[in-house]
Amino acid sequence: MIKKGFKTLLILLIGSFSITACEDYVDIETPNHMMISETVFADQETALAAINGIYNELAKADFSRGYLYSVTVLAGLTPDIFETTSATDARYGPFQQNEISPIDSDDAKANYNMWSSIYNIIYMANSVMEGTQNSKSISQEVKDLVEGKARFIRAFTYFYLVNLYGEVPLILTTDYRKNAKAERDDVNTVYNRIADDLDKAIILMEGAMEYNDSERTNVNRFVAIALRARVYLYQENWAKAEELASEVISQTSLYGMLDDLEQVFLKNSREAIWQISPVGRGLSATYTGEGYMFRGQNSSQIKLSEDFVGAMSANDKRLHIWIGYNTSRGFYFPQKYKDARSRNDVVEYSTVLRLSEQYLIRSEAKAMQGKITEAIKDINVVRNRAGLGLLAEMDQEMGQTELLEEIMEQRKKEFFAEWGHRWLDLKRTERVTEVLGAMKPLWQDTDVLFPIPGEEREKNPNLTQNNGY
Amino acid sequence: MKNNLEYRGFMRLCLLYICFLVPPPYFAHFPHGHCFKDVSILEPQQQFTITGTVSDTYGPMPGVHVLIKGSNKGTFTNDKGGYSITVTNKDILVFSYLGYHSRELPVLGRTTLDVEMLSEVTELQEVEVNAGYYTVKEKERTGSISRVTAKEIELQPIVSPLEALQGRMAGVEVIQQSGVPGSAPIIRIRGQNSLRNGTTDNGNLPLYIIDGVPVISTPITGGSNMYLNGIDPLTTLNLANIKSVEVLKDADATAIYGSRGANGVVLVTTKKGEGYFTKTKVEAHMYSGFGTASNKMDLLNTEQYLRLRKAVLANDEREPDESTDYDLLLWDQNRYTDWQEELFGGTSMITDLNVSASGGSATTSFRLGGSFHKEGLVFPGDEQYQKITAGLNLSHRSKNKKFRVTVSANYGFDKSGTPAYDGSFYSTALSLPPNAPPIYNDDGSLHWEEWEYSSNLNNPLAAILNRTATDLGYNLIANMGLSYSVLNVLTFKVNAGHTYLNREFKGLFSKDEYRPDLREFLNHRSTESHRTRKSSIIEPQLVYKNKLGNGSLDGLIGMTYQQNESKSLQVSGEGYPSEALIKDLSAAEVISISDNKYTKYRYNAVFARFGYNWKQRYFVNITGRRDGSSRFGPNKRFANFGAIGAAWIFSEDPFVKRSIPFLSFGKLRGSYGTTGSDQIGDYGYLDSYEATRGPGGLYPTQLFNPDYSWEVNKKLEVALELGILEESVHLGTSWYRNRSSNQLVGFPLPSITGFGSVQANLPATVQNTGWEFELSTANIRSRGFNWQTHLNLTFPNNKLVSFPDIDQTSYANTYRVGHPLNIGLLYKFDGLDPETGYYRMVDVNEDGRYDYTDRIIVKNLGSKYFGGITNTISYKGLGLSFSMDFVVKDGLNYPLATPGTISQQSIEFYKVWQGTEGDVVQKLSLTNAALSAYRRYRISDRFTSDASFLRLNNLGISYEFPDAVLDRIGFSTCKLFLQGRNLITLTRYNSLNVETPGDSSIPSLRTITLGIQLQL
Repeated sequence: MIKKGFKTLLILLIGSFSITACEDYVDIETPNHMMISETVFADQETALAAINGIYNELAKADFSRGYLYSVTVLAGLTPDIFETTSATDARYGPFQQNEISPIDSDDAKANYNMWSSIYNIIYMANSVMEGTQNSKSISQEVKDLVEGKARFIRAFTYFYLVNLYGEVPLILTTDYRKNAKAERDDVNTVYNRIADDLDKAIILMEGAMEYNDSERTNVNRFVAIALRARVYLYQENWAKAEELASEVISQTSLYGMLDDLEQVFLKNSREAIWQISPVGRGLSATYTGEGYMFRGQNSSQIKLSEDFVGAMSANDKRLHIWIGYNTSRGFYFPQKYKDARSRNDVVEYSTVLRLSEQYLIRSEAKAMQGKITEAIKDINVVRNRAGLGLLAEMDQEMGQTELLEEIMEQRKKEFFAEWGHRWLDLKRTERVTEVLGAMKPLWQDTDVLFPIPGEEREKNPNLTQNNGY
Repeated sequence: MKNNLEYRGFMRLCLLYICFLVPPPYFAHFPHGHCFKDVSILEPQQQFTITGTVSDTYGPMPGVHVLIKGSNKGTFTNDKGGYSITVTNKDILVFSYLGYHSRELPVLGRTTLDVEMLSEVTELQEVEVNAGYYTVKEKERTGSISRVTAKEIELQPIVSPLEALQGRMAGVEVIQQSGVPGSAPIIRIRGQNSLRNGTTDNGNLPLYIIDGVPVISTPITGGSNMYLNGIDPLTTLNLANIKSVEVLKDADATAIYGSRGANGVVLVTTKKGEGYFTKTKVEAHMYSGFGTASNKMDLLNTEQYLRLRKAVLANDEREPDESTDYDLLLWDQNRYTDWQEELFGGTSMITDLNVSASGGSATTSFRLGGSFHKEGLVFPGDEQYQKITAGLNLSHRSKNKKFRVTVSANYGFDKSGTPAYDGSFYSTALSLPPNAPPIYNDDGSLHWEEWEYSSNLNNPLAAILNRTATDLGYNLIANMGLSYSVLNVLTFKVNAGHTYLNREFKGLFSKDEYRPDLREFLNHRSTESHRTRKSSIIEPQLVYKNKLGNGSLDGLIGMTYQQNESKSLQVSGEGYPSEALIKDLSAAEVISISDNKYTKYRYNAVFARFGYNWKQRYFVNITGRRDGSSRFGPNKRFANFGAIGAAWIFSEDPFVKRSIPFLSFGKLRGSYGTTGSDQIGDYGYLDSYEATRGPGGLYPTQLFNPDYSWEVNKKLEVALELGILEESVHLGTSWYRNRSSNQLVGFPLPSITGFGSVQANLPATVQNTGWEFELSTANIRSRGFNWQTHLNLTFPNNKLVSFPDIDQTSYANTYRVGHPLNIGLLYKFDGLDPETGYYRMVDVNEDGRYDYTDRIIVKNLGSKYFGGITNTISYKGLGLSFSMDFVVKDGLNYPLATPGTISQQSIEFYKVWQGTEGDVVQKLSLTNAALSAYRRYRISDRFTSDASFLRLNNLGISYEFPDAVLDRIGFSTCKLFLQGRNLITLTRYNSLNVETPGDSSIPSLRTITLGIQLQL
């Protein structure tokens, strides 16, 4: 009896111990809400969805969403465009006074958020590039397309990094072990990489002449060309800037200047070259970050500088259509985006690149090359649309200097509250101290660069700080 | 008024309920043999008289109740301890006396029967302690196990069972972070081991095991924001259904839990039937009472506030302006509102009802129980917390007692309504100026007008009254144990269990919370979240027990297969056509999903234990486990853990017995071993993409690392236990040292890597050492009057022992090698700057700026020591017990807004500013320089204070009716009890909750409840 019981038990035990091999039991499948990278890039649909994911995330990323910590807001305060409504604004005050601190303050947090959101997008672009390069199952055509788009995104993000912070670490892979210790690369190296990424993107997107689904949130070849034109301008390669801007301008089936200023920032407007859709946030709120940020409410933290508004001539349509006025508190605010409350009814996209800039790039590039007449023609496109009189084409009175002056004036009035144009323009034309030094009491030459966020330097001691911080 | 009426109505209902639930007398009083057929073995015979004397160690005992089991026939011993009663041969006599173990003795033809009664106190050492896979006698244990039993916790008016451990166990620190019923307490067993200490990512949670089934111990988040730190996963347990809670602390006790034992193990055992051959017993208790917030901060009145504000303007040479100084120009200058009173000054009504029945025949015993608990909130509105539980426990054994099966199932349902406010609820109450606008208009509608002067201010009641948040929890914990003794010495066992926890949150946000003129542009919104946790476990085991030489050998070998699944789904709806439809998600214009996750965790192990006991004097216990966890990459999944423990009861040694006669007990024990921790998020090793919230996109969500592995925790302990004078003084002293290395952390990275962190093992070592003392004294021990005191005291010492290259990590400014983990890195305060009048900190490196290199003060914010004292006094039927707990520590002050802003301020600050009390404050000003000076001040050594406290945690007064009265009314127990919780807290610290200095949340409520316990 005892023996029998013992046998049964032995069998039971041996049975239960061997039913499942331990190793297998703890090997679990990937959960439904995750997809491993290899799978993502094994299929054309999902590979393209990874690009789409970047577009969506751009609508959420702090630097690009047009809201509190965006380039538009922060780099709009540092030059002569925005001012804070309260003298003691802890977050924005230091930006306006060019006294940004690197750590432990509201302004440092804003700066950190902007910086880290850019690098998060860069990671995505790098991850997509690595994923496609390693993929064995998608066609070369799709590979090229995906890589081209990712390269554009990377160039775009580095463009802002290098212009805001100067030397920045060039992160080109997803390997955090290496990247965590990365040092800053000099400005030329970063610019060369931007140029290289864009040149490659233009070639890789040879076939992408249209917008997928006619949505201008998708990157196509001309989006890359438009940014390349800007980069040539910043690199002072006037001829190439002119050439590429011309290529974009000549796509008249896609692009055209809109006479009605009300329509410029609408979704998929003919003037838009690249836009970010607020739908990407995945919320029911479908207004743009800019629309909400600058809705001109009484408690608004930011207003347009009175000097800036005052300098606009009374018949400038941009004054009436793109600028609002809060009567109870008496301040001006940007109103390019009119929608601050729509839900599930998207009317405006946040515009990143638009045709007007291409005209002004070409105008400047031509003026620099001494092609005054042609340059005037281009600037007149913008002046005309604003309801300002045309500069006489044969006005030989106007020398190169005055023309360039006028181009800068138009850039300021055309692109205020858009992606820090003014700040970047003042810097690249090396007039920043001349202009801001006169109006900002605390201005120092070293203020041309934002500080590298202190938290970053704590985590990566190889990061040096910019001068003056 | 309305509340009061409802309350009375409810009380009546409860009484009715009790009446109906008490079973008809014929059932309870049924003679044993008729109720369960198996017992009628003896033939009935003629009646005869049996006599005898009842005594204890002090001599004869008068007043002992002698009852014929299964009848209502009984008597009491006379003043000489004698008794006499007519019986039949088959009768069983039950001898009972309060504070003594009842004895049941069969007559078996005897005509005299002398009985010795055993006091409950003297026997503590014989108690079997649950060690998880096995039990061990308190006397013989080699490991460190603390225990509380039903008696100490069952009547306490609390929701989270672990709150009852506060101040009761050495080495176990329980911090209740909030007084909202159901809030998860923090429980740390012998300190913080892991560097990860966040709400959702925490490596310091102990393992919870309920009746052998593991329950995920992470607090449940994703519901109402009033639960700042999540809901306790144990809320749905019935406190009165808990038989004991054991906490395993050292290597010897925890190593058998291997990779899950690093932070200690909390074992909850639910009540079972009291055994075979027992009469059906019905027990009920109910209590009700009230609770209020036990603390408020001392803030300014209107006059003081305005004086402060005007002084700021004067100092800044600024004229008040309507846009920035509306509190001075537009608001009433005489109005006063105590916002703390408005927002959490309410009274919570508490009602609890508990009923159970148990009994047993020769082969089957059972216990059934049910409970209802309800308590209101101290917030505005009529939300409340409710809990209903039911439990079943069945044990069966075969006639030859070889085969046994036990089944238990505990089901709990709770519903928590809270104001759907966000985390700023308390800071709102602490910051709103005293002359802020009124809440209501004269007609009772919400007052909107004056609130609109600032975009930062809102009528706080607008949100509270127009949002609702309901969190429903359903929880089933079921387990089954089968055992078969194959041989006398060998038993085969299988334990299987399943838990299922589901919480459904629904938050409704009416647009009426906004000003009427804004509503046109806004929508009604709703949020739902569903969180499900399932765990299943099966553990086949083989148990061996035999004599071996001069001692006995215990052995155990088993396997574990465990699977946990967690699911969460959060759905928001927006654009409801009308408020009436807001509950119906399908009526929403847009539905969006913000969280949709499913994670699976699997765990596999082989474990064994060998215990040898030689001559009841020397004990050795060896435990080991090989674990595999799915949380790690394919090559890092398995690891081994083990421990050895030994004990020597030297008081049993003949030599010691002879030479130290007053030593009634003496034990030296020690243990050493390793445990681990795999408490880290699932799937961290996957290079994965997830869907973006926006349509049609995928994006990488984390950095991946396939190579991270277990955190290893090595525990060492030495302990000495002494009992003197027949155990009237019992002192336990232990010293422990736990070292956690290979720290598993979300390793922080610079964001240039794309993310803020990656899962990885850090070469850092955290050490927890400490001394624990547990002293029990029987101050007075006599038959009528008993007074016992238990004291526990812990001196913890937490230290980051090593952390190579800490400067290269982001921890550089969080931790310091050689210091505890819970520290503040602070500036050194340097008085006032004579030029500006602002606070000045020491600029250590004199570089003209302040950063971490200047934060040279390392302030320990952890507990220096903590403990508790419990006194239990009984005189006849009267009982008094009171427990105090205390903690000695420093804390950061609560950061009220900068003085002079439109915000409340502490009365202390005001007094100093007014110069009525010493010290200095900086010149009031709102210039940037003043603001940043104040910001730095808030991270300086001056901004800390003594956050020690001593709290009368629990006070219980009870009265048990004497048996004479009970006999007449037909109950076997009837007890009235009064419980007070958190009645007094003594502290010098000024903030809401001294348990969590620097945070704002209401502390555990001060409650007083009155109840009755009945047993049939």
